Formats: sequence, C-alpha cells, structure tokens
Amino acid sequence: MRPARLTLTIAIAAALGMAGANPAASESSARPAHEAAAHTARVVSVRDEGHLRFVDANATVIVDEGSVSGTLPGRARVNFTYNGSPTVTARFAIRTSGGTLYGRASCRLHNPTSPVPSFRGALQITGGSGRYGHARGSGELFGVFHRRGYALVVQAIGRLRY
Amino acid sequence: MNGSGARPTAEARSIAQRLTAVIAGALVLSALLTAARAQATQTATISARFSPERLGAPTTVSFGFSIAADGGGLPSALTAIDFRYPSQLGLGTSDLGLASCDPATLRARGPKACPPNSIMGAGNALAEFQVSPEISEETATIALVAGPSQNGYVNLLISATGTYPVAARLVMPTLLLPGHLHISVPLVPGIPEGPDVAVVQVHATLGGKLTYYERKHGKRITYHPRGIQLPKRCPRGGFRFSATFTFLDGTQAQAATVVKCPRRR
Repeated sequence: MRPARLTLTIAIAAALGMAGANPAASESSARPAHEAAAHTARVVSVRDEGHLRFVDANATVIVDEGSVSGTLPGRARVNFTYNGSPTVTARFAIRTSGGTLYGRASCRLHNPTSPVPSFRGALQITGGSGRYGHARGSGELFGVFHRRGYALVVQAIGRLRY
Repeated sequence: MNGSGARPTAEARSIAQRLTAVIAGALVLSALLTAARAQATQTATISARFSPERLGAPTTVSFGFSIAADGGGLPSALTAIDFRYPSQLGLGTSDLGLASCDPATLRARGPKACPPNSIMGAGNALAEFQVSPEISEETATIALVAGPSQNGYVNLLISATGTYPVAARLVMPTLLLPGHLHISVPLVPGIPEGPDVAVVQVHATLGGKLTYYERKHGKRITYHPRGIQLPKRCPRGGFRFSATFTFLDGTQAQAATVVKCPRRR
C-alpha cells in the first residue's frame, strides 16, 4: 500500500490536565494534607486539537498518531473505526508529561461520499495513568476524515476531572 | 331390526370418514410437494474473489451470480437480491466513491456523465427473454456509482445499460450497509404478452482499474484509488458471501460461497 499521509488532527477534548493549564477552572477539595496528597480532585476545561499521521490500517480500522496541542498538549494515538455505518468510533490514548489519558468517542459521520466527510459526537475520558490515574471526563468531538490519505482533523471540547 | 339396520350405516360412516382422511392426507401431501416444487423452480450460484489476495492490503472485490430454471428454459424474472458480504471488509475506509452522481443524470446519460471520482466499479450482465419459441439473450454493461448519501450511508447506484437488441438503461439504488446490500430489481417487459426479461448472469467488481482526479498545487492530477482494505486476520472459515434471490413467481433461491483465507502480506 502506498504510504498514505494522514493529517489527522485530533482535537481531543480529553486532555491532559497539566498543572496551571487552566487554573481558573481547577478545584481542590479542602481535605487534610495527607488525603490531598493521595488524590486531589481537579476539573479542567479542555479545548484541544491534534495533527495525526497515518500509521496503520486494518480494514475498517485506521490507526493514526501525532501531536496534540491546546489545553493539554501531548502525543496521541487514535484507532478510528468506520465500517460504512454512519456511526464512527474512536479509541484514543494521549501521552503527556504527567501521564496518559485514555478515552473513546462515538460520532455521526455526514456526507460519506465527500473526499473529506465530517463527523461529530460525544467523547468520554475513561481513565489514565500517572497523574491521570483517576481521570474521568466528557465532551464533544468534531472532525473530518480525509479519505484519500486517511487523515482526520479533530477538535475536542470538554471537561476533565482527575 | 333397527339395531341391525343401523350397523351398516355406522360402518359406512366409518369407511367414509377413513376415506375422507386418506383423501385429505393425499391432498395435503400433494400440496406440500407442489409447494416444494414451486420453491425450487430457480437455482442460483454465486462467486466472489479478491484481487490481489493479500491480507492487510487493499484489493478489488469481484462477485457474480448465475440463475437457471430447474427444467431449463427461461427463469422467472428477478425482483430482488439480498446480498451479504463480510463486514470485516473495509468498504467504509476505502477511497472509492469520492464524489456522488445524480441518479437522474446517470439514468439519462449513463455513467460517463458522472464525476469520474464517483465510479466505484464495473461489470456486465446477461439477460434472457422469450421470443417464442426461442430464448434470446442481451448483454448489458454495469457501472457501480456512488450516489448522494442517505442517512449517512453510501448510496450505491447500480446502472445496467443494454444496447442490442433492446437499448435500455436501468438504475438500481441501494444503500451500502455494513455487510449487507438489498437490491430491488425493476421488471423489464419482454415481448407483448410474453414473460418479463430474466437476468441470468451478473459479474461485477468493486475497485479495479479506475482513474480518479485530484487537485495538487493548483494542478489536476490523475491517480488510481487503492480499493478496499482487507483485514490483517482472516475470519474463521474464510470470507463468507451469500445471497437470496427473489423472483416474480414468488419463489426464492439461495446461494453462498467462501473466499478462502489469502496469505498474509
């Protein structure tokens, strides 16, 4: 297969709550210091975008990787599934300096015979590691899928609690 | 007297009841046999093939079917096809059908009037019709074209164009569902008072030698679409294809085939 270039911009609302990324949106519970050290809940409003390149494909699944910029910058890997049904799904992992976030999204794809169909749907942060070991979140995922080169352009907006 | 007179009547009644039961049984059996014969008046076979046959690589998918009347002669006209293909095939992620063609344009002017990037495949068909007492044939070219999508699904337009002895074009729209296609086949009248035209053979390929166009740095360049991505792992038992054909006489015929697991890339 010809090396398909994928400009997958994955704006993953999931993001990586880097310290001070959005202090105004952060909350800390007034718990004793030892408890706070164990787990301090924090909520961050996230707006992220990433450009991912095509890495691999397995029939209905396309795998892309690339950098994510925005509230929580890092590196993302996305498994994007499109089997011909208008409901497309994505599973993703975002590695940041503070840990990794995992999530998934389910979106509705429009105009499938366009060279660049768009999609939009809900995303969820399902967990993570490191600083994001207890991460949970939700938001919306917007994007386009470049069918010629397997590219995705995605923007994510949401809230992350970790 | 009354008692002895009544005995033959009871026997006669009993015999009549047994006879009725036997006749009813025979009628039911006859009806069942007739129905069984009616269900088997057409037989169908299907074929499928990948080219190239490499797991994890893009490919073209060819499929075909043949229909025959059990006792020879003209089969009943085909009215619908339910076609099932492996949902693991990457039809959604394929780069086929990057534009859509207006069905009215396709019907009126043929696939050449459609955007080149809307052409997804091609094929041919053979139809038979009765010109008493003989059966005549007509070949038709098939084009598989992407139409305007419906509810987010690709709308596959199947165009069949015949030129001789009858010039006609049919366009059959069908939604490209994951693993499933339902095609309604319109009836084509044969000679007056005669049976409708019967489709007896079809062969078509999704992908293949297609030329698409794109703009790069302001220039229009040509390229060949990759086609349909095969999964890296083969489904257990191979790639299964099946079809149910429905005919005008109310009967159905089923057929299935398996593409054996190709070797890994």
